[in-house]
Amino acid sequence: MKEYITKIGSGDLAVDDTLLTKGVETTAGSKILSGFVPLFSAEAVERAVKAGYTVSGKTNVGEFGLDLVGEFSNYNDGDEVLRGAAAELIAKGEVKGALEVDLNGAPRRAATLSGTDFIKPTYGTVSRYGIIPCACSGEQVGAAAANAAETKKLLAAVAGHDGKDGTSLPAEAYDYSCGKEPAGMKAGIITQLFELASEETKAVIKGYAEKLKALGVSVEEVSVEEIAAAQSAWQILMAAETCNNVSRYDGVKFGYRTPNYKNIDELYIGSRTEGMNLLTKTTVLYGSDVLSKGRYFTCYDKALKVRRVVAERFGELFKTYDLLLAPACGKTEYKKYDITRAFETVYGESVFTAVPNLIGIPAMVTKGVQLMAGHFEEKTLFKIAESAEGTDK
Amino acid sequence: MEKTKLDGLLSLNELQLSEDETASVLGAFEFMEGQEKIMDGINTENVEVMVHVMPMENVLREDVREQPFTREALLEGAPEHTEDSWQVPRLVK
Amino acid sequence: MKYEIVIGLETHVELNTRSKIFCACGGHSSHGEPNDCVCPACCGMPGMLPVTNKRVVELAVMAGLMLNCEINRYTTFDKKSYYYPDLPCAYQVTQWFHPICTNGLVEVQTKNGTAKIGIKQIHMEEDAGKLVHDDWSDTTLVDFNRTSVPLIEIVSRPDFRSAEEVLAYLEKLKAMFRFANISECEEGAMRCDVNISIRPEGSTELGVRTEIKNMSSLSSIERAIKYETARHMDAIERQTEVLVQETRRWDDIKGKTFSMRNKETAADYRYFPDPNIMPIVIDDEWLEKIKADMPASPEEKAAEYRALGVSDKEIELLISKRNLCDLFDELLMKGCNVQDIVSWILTECAGVLRKKGQVLDELSIPAEKLARIIAMTASNEVTRGAGRKILVAVLDDDVDPDKFCEENNLAAQGDESLINDVVKKVIEENPGAVNDYLGGKTKAFQALFGGCMKQLRGNGDPAIIRAQLENELAKLS
Repeated sequence: MKEYITKIGSGDLAVDDTLLTKGVETTAGSKILSGFVPLFSAEAVERAVKAGYTVSGKTNVGEFGLDLVGEFSNYNDGDEVLRGAAAELIAKGEVKGALEVDLNGAPRRAATLSGTDFIKPTYGTVSRYGIIPCACSGEQVGAAAANAAETKKLLAAVAGHDGKDGTSLPAEAYDYSCGKEPAGMKAGIITQLFELASEETKAVIKGYAEKLKALGVSVEEVSVEEIAAAQSAWQILMAAETCNNVSRYDGVKFGYRTPNYKNIDELYIGSRTEGMNLLTKTTVLYGSDVLSKGRYFTCYDKALKVRRVVAERFGELFKTYDLLLAPACGKTEYKKYDITRAFETVYGESVFTAVPNLIGIPAMVTKGVQLMAGHFEEKTLFKIAESAEGTDK
Repeated sequence: MEKTKLDGLLSLNELQLSEDETASVLGAFEFMEGQEKIMDGINTENVEVMVHVMPMENVLREDVREQPFTREALLEGAPEHTEDSWQVPRLVK
Repeated sequence: MKYEIVIGLETHVELNTRSKIFCACGGHSSHGEPNDCVCPACCGMPGMLPVTNKRVVELAVMAGLMLNCEINRYTTFDKKSYYYPDLPCAYQVTQWFHPICTNGLVEVQTKNGTAKIGIKQIHMEEDAGKLVHDDWSDTTLVDFNRTSVPLIEIVSRPDFRSAEEVLAYLEKLKAMFRFANISECEEGAMRCDVNISIRPEGSTELGVRTEIKNMSSLSSIERAIKYETARHMDAIERQTEVLVQETRRWDDIKGKTFSMRNKETAADYRYFPDPNIMPIVIDDEWLEKIKADMPASPEEKAAEYRALGVSDKEIELLISKRNLCDLFDELLMKGCNVQDIVSWILTECAGVLRKKGQVLDELSIPAEKLARIIAMTASNEVTRGAGRKILVAVLDDDVDPDKFCEENNLAAQGDESLINDVVKKVIEENPGAVNDYLGGKTKAFQALFGGCMKQLRGNGDPAIIRAQLENELAKLS
């Protein structure tokens, strides 16, 4: 049976286990971090608490947040139908909101499957101080809740400049409540992603598009040829940065140490081999390879250039479209699968989520649909999501 | 991806794989080889790398010293330590 | 056939900052207690993010300017990955793609003349921790105090042709960096990797190169170069072994180099740009500000002092240490006379320190207090001897000169009638000296003057004593 949460108190906020909580074991779902008790809390957690939230507990994540929705964690052996821990707790009404780190789309997928809301904001708006780092150039702390208004409230509580994070943007706070009315807006459905999705998922997207039309938003399909290259580029950057960041877990300073070693090499190899799962290992090895001497320029450097091309392309798109629509998952339900297939499986699904990580734009999942907008256009996403929710009533 | 190259990567990353896992990883590498080729479709001639998606510069701090953490607290979670140091098997005989 | 040695140096210099390069911990290589200058970032714990210390950038630019480098206006940090227990994150943040300084030149003097040493680049990076091998527990102890201490690495071109040139270069860097407060350059705070190869004289191709890692004492560097040169020569001329390109370790006790056949030397460091650190852009305004803040070089200082009339010998002493120049300059600003400054620093202060078993380098005195002592003696408020007593008290106990003078009754006696009585008494008691003086032996005046001063317990106003003594003696002639 899946353990969704390790309780701390009787609060209304779940914090995913990639965010440090002072005095409470934090493992990012990995055995290698078992017993690691942080000496400080993540800035986002501190800010949420200051804004009046109380922490209910730490929600289970897949090791380093690399899997689909948390299926490969040291806490569980996986249910038949996969669900994300924080999203499920929100769906069941056990917590009001959750803070989750989005490095490769897991919280967006989880929100889609559980029918809840999640927003990964513009890169640099929420401090990354106190998160267990993996893919530093594209990961962000995001906010999850049952509806757009609660999601907006939680994000507003945690966003804003933090001098402890060198990539934190200068704005002290963000006003997310001043989005324009939807009528007259233009939305594009990304053809390449729509076509990849299952029929049920397509139906969800179409249904949402109808709601938008009812609100006076014009909706059309838009072809974005760079999508597959963006997916490949993010995989390369994410894997390389993850490799580099998890290299610090070696059994020397904290966390798990293998009991079987006679010298430093055995200590390193034993601790890391026993402490991390196959998905993490594959990611580490691939990430190491793309940085190696013969491969750096054709692979890593190329991916950094593709990132610029994609960023410019989306910059152009957002001159025409106020928002873009796409699925965040290829299907409406994931079934349990074997970890030996995890790398390709997660890669396959990351096509839907990669662009916002790659180029730092905000992406929100609401009612099973992913909405994307230009940098700092969270207010547009919230306005759309709230208005579309309103049409249900 | 040859096995010898994978061995090099395993050594660089202080990891080991079982036979099944090796097959899985080699499969992943082969799969990614095809995926990387998709990037060839993007013309990146004269394109600068983009390391930071939200460009800023000179994010610097003043040279001020602070010491909010104690050695005892930092050592507490160490798998093996003395009163003042982390401890590993002896490196040089 | 004649051969020549070709040497290139990678010199790591610990920068003189209050805090580390990416976190606010203090800590330097010479720090005492293990792990008392560490934070979660220093010991590899996840969560903290690097924020670059501005002072590190400024000191690196200063070093670059001193070594005649081009300062790159756009500079970035990169990550270098390898495993070793002294590297807590298994990566080091350094500069690979866009180092801060490039293309410099240093001239060094040896007995064979001037050698021009090209500087390929200077880059900023963080230091690694320290390992102590403990016999008692048969373990290695890890100390992260030095982790993330800021370094610059100065990469020379292979322009050295002898060990003498290497030593002259390192001595020069040390003197420059110490003088400019860029680095203390203490033992261990300046470390070298020496790349060495041998080739037939006149050849433009390089021979097989070996790298000797991580040496900090000049004598080790000299011995290692000589040993390695001989080993290469033997291999080339007498085929004692086949040279391979490799990294070697100098064993100071055995006096030999040994091959390091570990994983680290074969590693692929997998450099990539650090996503957590934004680029640093040095615009004209900032560069000019750094230049303006840059202390004058020893040469510039010497020229300045020469123009003030200070002798070459005195200049040499003054420019040996930055703090003496700073003290000199401050005293000058406070209106002290140049000759007074020179004599109070180089004679009086040096004398007091010598008695305490210290050297002038160690002089530490608040400029305003020394300025006050100089002013008091210059205006005859106190005698030179009393001034010296005050100096001792200031150096020992940091007393206030005026208060100390008052409490110890050191003010010069300026009471003319009292001095007149004393002068008359001394003349009466020393007929021999008086006769000598009157007979033309002017030296005898000094003895009589000294007698008066002694009667006044050293506190007589010397100008008044002199005037009255001359006056009374004139009456007798």
